[in-house]
Amino acid sequence: MATAIELKNVIKRFGEFNAVDDVSFSVKEGAICGFLGPNGAGKTTSIRMILDILRPTSGSISILGEKNASLVRDRIGYLPEEKGLYKKMTAAGIIAYFATLKGMPKKEARSIARELLQKYGLGSFMDHKCEALSKGMGQKVQVLASIAHSPDLVILDEPFSGLDPVNQEVMEEVIRDLKSQGKTVLFSTHVMSHAERICEDIVVIAAGKLAFNGTVQQAKAILPRRVRVGGESIEEVIPSLDGIVSCTPLQDGREGVLELIVEETTDSRNLLKSFFDAGIALDIFEVVKPDLHEIFVHLVGEDAREAAHR
Amino acid sequence: MIRIYRVALREYMENAKTKGFWIGILLFPLMIWLMLEVPRFLEEKGIPTRHVIIVAKDDAAGDISRQRLTLLNRQKSLSSLQQHLAKETADQRAEMLENTEFDAAELLEKLEEGLSQISPDAGAINPFNPEQLVEIGDLVPDELLLNDFRWKALKNLLLSQLPEGSAAFVEPELRFKEVSLPGDLTSESTNEEIENALRPYLRSEKLFPSNDENVDLFALVIIPENVFDGESQIRFWSTNLADTDLLDAITNSLSEHARNLEYEKREISTADVTEIAALRIRSNNFNPNKEAGEEKVGIRDKIRQYAPIGFVYLLWIAIFSVAQMLLNNTIEEKSNRIIEVLLSSVTTNELLLGKVFGVAAVGVTMQLAWIGSMITILRLKAGPGAEWVVDLMAAVISPELLIGFIFYFVTGYLFYAFLFAGIGSVCNTIKDAQNFMGPIMLILMVPLGTMMFIPNDPNGTIATAMSWIPPWSPFIMMNRMAANPPMSDIVGTGVMMIVSVIMVFWISSRVFRVGVLRTGQPPKILELLGWLRSSNS
Repeated sequence: MATAIELKNVIKRFGEFNAVDDVSFSVKEGAICGFLGPNGAGKTTSIRMILDILRPTSGSISILGEKNASLVRDRIGYLPEEKGLYKKMTAAGIIAYFATLKGMPKKEARSIARELLQKYGLGSFMDHKCEALSKGMGQKVQVLASIAHSPDLVILDEPFSGLDPVNQEVMEEVIRDLKSQGKTVLFSTHVMSHAERICEDIVVIAAGKLAFNGTVQQAKAILPRRVRVGGESIEEVIPSLDGIVSCTPLQDGREGVLELIVEETTDSRNLLKSFFDAGIALDIFEVVKPDLHEIFVHLVGEDAREAAHR
Repeated sequence: MIRIYRVALREYMENAKTKGFWIGILLFPLMIWLMLEVPRFLEEKGIPTRHVIIVAKDDAAGDISRQRLTLLNRQKSLSSLQQHLAKETADQRAEMLENTEFDAAELLEKLEEGLSQISPDAGAINPFNPEQLVEIGDLVPDELLLNDFRWKALKNLLLSQLPEGSAAFVEPELRFKEVSLPGDLTSESTNEEIENALRPYLRSEKLFPSNDENVDLFALVIIPENVFDGESQIRFWSTNLADTDLLDAITNSLSEHARNLEYEKREISTADVTEIAALRIRSNNFNPNKEAGEEKVGIRDKIRQYAPIGFVYLLWIAIFSVAQMLLNNTIEEKSNRIIEVLLSSVTTNELLLGKVFGVAAVGVTMQLAWIGSMITILRLKAGPGAEWVVDLMAAVISPELLIGFIFYFVTGYLFYAFLFAGIGSVCNTIKDAQNFMGPIMLILMVPLGTMMFIPNDPNGTIATAMSWIPPWSPFIMMNRMAANPPMSDIVGTGVMMIVSVIMVFWISSRVFRVGVLRTGQPPKILELLGWLRSSNS
């Protein structure tokens, strides 16, 4: 499949500080890709470079088959991290304006703007000035402004921040709609549940460096397989079992529960059988499926903490 | 290009929707209209009749003063009658203007003659038309106005010219009205007695009873016995120190009389004195820059010399009003972070150009509206004969001059507009911007200061030197344009301005690119220089 975005060895230096340090990754055409990373990891800088708002210090970026985003500007939609609108323009007016800047004829832009507002629940606010909209509504308007010209690639920087749960769902719906129209979506977030629900691929960066690029499935395979067990005198049996890497008491407050890290080849059915064979009365036998949250903490935990202290 | 246009259009529409824009457009003609109307209104309605008591211990002085007051009253009445006639016969007069040769001296002679022949009540028989009677204005001699019989005839003459169906003429309030001393006082009473008795009225504590009405006593004038000797002084009592018309009228008329007495005493003919006082040495001004035979300098040339001041003002106001809009807009976009979306759709250059052109269009609209409303008001006010406003403009501003003005206006405007947009891009609040604006405002004050004296020496050292400093060049060159500056200066500064505008655009666009994405404190000057050097920010 063709790639929509490809970064090769991209470095962005601000003075002495490497905001983005030798990052390479690619986003497939038609995919929804989550761009994950802790605060200050270099997500926004990377996005700005992809959009040619900033130029990389070195490395190359290709976007929609071109070397430079300015050549395909009209095919890209962008929602920046910090949202803002012209206070004195109407909701419909501002969506239409941004669409015309992307080369859409004025008339068409106007009718699309009204259509979109209607579709995503802002129909009665079309002619309200932006200063009269709530923060969440304003954000929705801005998201709609970034997709009104029907771009092939949509880049959303923190689209969920500041939205209530209902509108977060609307946002997810917007992204899924884009996918169903065959668009490519790259969005950054640090709320893993959204990424987990809607992404196929993820890119994780931490402290300016690439930590992961692949599918969600591949990401989940990074974490070792874990099984939680609990039962009478279970500790005595464990050392005699095969395929177990380590065994530590679980820290989540449950008494007497152990977390086993097992080898990749270990079949959980055999493990369960071994416990039966050893005559252990099991209280708990739980195969842990890693979620993206854990993977994220695993990948960037140290860096994120460091960044937080900076 | 289409993107520049769209950014410009939005910028224009947004500004055109603001209250400030419409207030700006409407305030100006309103101000001009008020400037024309208020003084007239005040003259007509504002100053009430001044009631005055004149106590003359010298009969001749009393007569002269009273005569002068009568003269002023009649002048006011005549001028308002003329205005009325002018208003009622405006259409007729426009026609007459074209085929009437107007000779004041001849007309006056005719008037004298005419008035002495007709009876005061038979005004209809006369050799005049309304145009002549309006134009004769202030020329009517004092003696004629002071002659009761002729005054009445003159008034009837004017009234008889009113076309049928005209509004009736309403006699204006008298300017001055003398009221007599209260019962127990006479001109023989001592000053002290009179002043003490009248003090409460002069202080406006009480209204002064005069005939059947009570009036506000404006002033008390006591003229002493030997006033013409110049030894004793007039005692003028009034709480109003600002309105000196009454006192001036009395002192002037008495001084005149005193001088005439003195001439007689020294056996000098007063007629000779008047004639001698009218002697004037006249001069003709020539300009060696003009073609042979046309070197004579007329009023038109002088206006031409000073007309550029208007353009300098215009440029100055344009830059000033635009500065605010550009700063506000850029800072709004920056603090709202809209800029990032914009920059994903248009390049910094497109955005910068769009903004500057959009705001320029707002400024131009405003100025065209001003010029248009000014010409309209002047023409309305001055009646249909006021083609001169347009004629004068056309005569004073020849095409070469106009091209020069437009060139320097555009380059001057762009120079500052790009500068302001650049400044706006590095500031997060208007407060930040003010720090940068301070020095620029100082620079901008300079041409305003030199504006008045450059026309005195348009090709002098200072003017020439200042022409070569880009921030001042457009102003100074506009100022000099009418004085035929050397071609080398025009071409040289023209090229310099184009280069400067491109430079400022380039710098601003660099700064803009980095500045608009930056948050926090505005950068230091050294940092700014760094931005210019780095090509890949």
